[in-house]
Amino acid sequence: MRWFSVVGILFLVGCAESIQPTLTDSEWTGRVPAGFPEVVYPEDNKPTKLRVELGRRLFYDNRLSGDGSLHCGSCHVLSAAFTDGRTTSTGLHGIAGKRNAPTLVNLAWMKRLMMEGGVPTLETQALAPLHDSTEMAASVMPLLVKLNEDLLLKELTRAAYGRDSIDAYVVTRALACFQRTLMSGDGRYDRYKQGRKDQLNEKEVRGMNLFFSTRTHCSECHSGVFFTDMDYHNIGLAVEYADEGKARATHLPEDIGRFKTPTLRNIQLTSPYMHDGSIASLEEVITLYNQGGHEHPNKDNRIVPLGLTEEEQADLIAFLTTLTDWNFVQNKDLLPLMR
Amino acid sequence: MNRSFCLFALVIISLVLQSCKDEEPTPVPGKSSATITFDARWEGTPFQIQQVYLDDFGNRIRCDKFMNYFSFIKLVAEDGSEVLVKDFVLADYTGDNSYTAEVPSGKYTALKFGIGVDRDYNKDQDPAQYPSSSPLSVAGSQGMFWVWNTGYIFAKFEGKADTTGTAGVELLSPIAIHAGDDFSYRTFTSQPFNVTIDGANHVFAVHINVDRIFSPDQGNVVNIAQDAITHGGTNPDLTNNFMDNYLAAISLEP
Repeated sequence: MRWFSVVGILFLVGCAESIQPTLTDSEWTGRVPAGFPEVVYPEDNKPTKLRVELGRRLFYDNRLSGDGSLHCGSCHVLSAAFTDGRTTSTGLHGIAGKRNAPTLVNLAWMKRLMMEGGVPTLETQALAPLHDSTEMAASVMPLLVKLNEDLLLKELTRAAYGRDSIDAYVVTRALACFQRTLMSGDGRYDRYKQGRKDQLNEKEVRGMNLFFSTRTHCSECHSGVFFTDMDYHNIGLAVEYADEGKARATHLPEDIGRFKTPTLRNIQLTSPYMHDGSIASLEEVITLYNQGGHEHPNKDNRIVPLGLTEEEQADLIAFLTTLTDWNFVQNKDLLPLMR
Repeated sequence: MNRSFCLFALVIISLVLQSCKDEEPTPVPGKSSATITFDARWEGTPFQIQQVYLDDFGNRIRCDKFMNYFSFIKLVAEDGSEVLVKDFVLADYTGDNSYTAEVPSGKYTALKFGIGVDRDYNKDQDPAQYPSSSPLSVAGSQGMFWVWNTGYIFAKFEGKADTTGTAGVELLSPIAIHAGDDFSYRTFTSQPFNVTIDGANHVFAVHINVDRIFSPDQGNVVNIAQDAITHGGTNPDLTNNFMDNYLAAISLEP
């Protein structure tokens, strides 16, 4: 409903080009999940209703890809917590991407972006998939020409950012603005933590206790309300890494195989797993950890054989499913218009 | 008027006249201009993109793209002060790379600039913050920017090579030298010169002698037969050697 007024105004704008429309922007009033810290927004890109709306439209706009066949939502699908279910994403002309599509949740709090942490802000990150030849493979100038032919987007741009034309600044800011609104923190686990003890059954509670125990060390890296320490670890996924992870950015041998800890929120919906999508199911992920991973000189020393029974492994998985935020993945405000 | 006063006046006048004779004319404070041109050469002749050259290692090289950034092109005045001609330029050796700026009239003794993008403007910067007219902007950078590991590509030399050096053999070995990251930034300072710019434009011609980059005479080996691919820090030895040789391959006509 909160989009109704914006959509209504835009509809009128679209219907009456001869009338010079004036959109009025206002503060974004979305709610930060309970228990989450306050968001520190960039000074030049604080969220407003129209900025978020512009970002949403661009997120689902095929004109952002080189041949007009893909948009951000092609690989980041809401129902899969903004992943795509593929081992690695498929880019323009069916080209296989290099990595598994990461979930897009709680990005407003993330310190650095990309699995090697090479990008400092969401604004700058927006350029990565646009330019990548294995993703959207767009050239900026033709892209901007096409977008500027859209009177509706231009009007939104004027109202949201005070600019007469859509440029790289507007595109990156608006996409970042929309992505910062992708906040997920309403799983059954969260409600349990808020005092609703009926939200978790015995099996899930046993799994939760295991998760937060020093026996598994899970919560040492998958920590805090975001279930990530935002740091980089080698978990012994492989003996040799074709994708060197953080070492790609730092060029340090000790960083080979270190990847940013992914959030576990909505993990039930984001298979396959790992940076390369090499593990199909949560069961197999737990098996890898239970076995202590593969040998690698950079492997985190907490990754050791755990000796979990089959039942304990099942308990852990049961707990992980309580991190699914069904309201989030069914939120129509996060879908494109006209769907 | 007594004799001693006349003598004193004569001494003063002769000293003044002597002083004026010995010194260069003092530049009149005002506006002049300086043009800095950058061109690429191979053994003294204009370097052509997509032409095949034989380097001193015996490799046949065809360059398809040669571009690089220069940062803070400055003239050094006689008193040591520095006059900025241009903050950032992206030189593409398929066209004109001339940059003109108004400079105070006066005597200049050196030219200096960085090769690459200055540290304060490189890592973790957002190219979308610049207007498209800037070489640091998304459009203006023309692909000289790593989007996955935020930072500019300082110099790009791409092409193909035949490492047997045999005429007529197809060039198949790829060359992709993408120098970047702060460690590969280099600073050029010319040998001292003595140029007075006074009310007119003066052209400083900077030549990049590409043949010298690929010559064993340079201290650092850039032999395409051994090593031809780097993306910043992925091959720091080649990146450093390329940038060191690039620096050494610069000549200036002040």
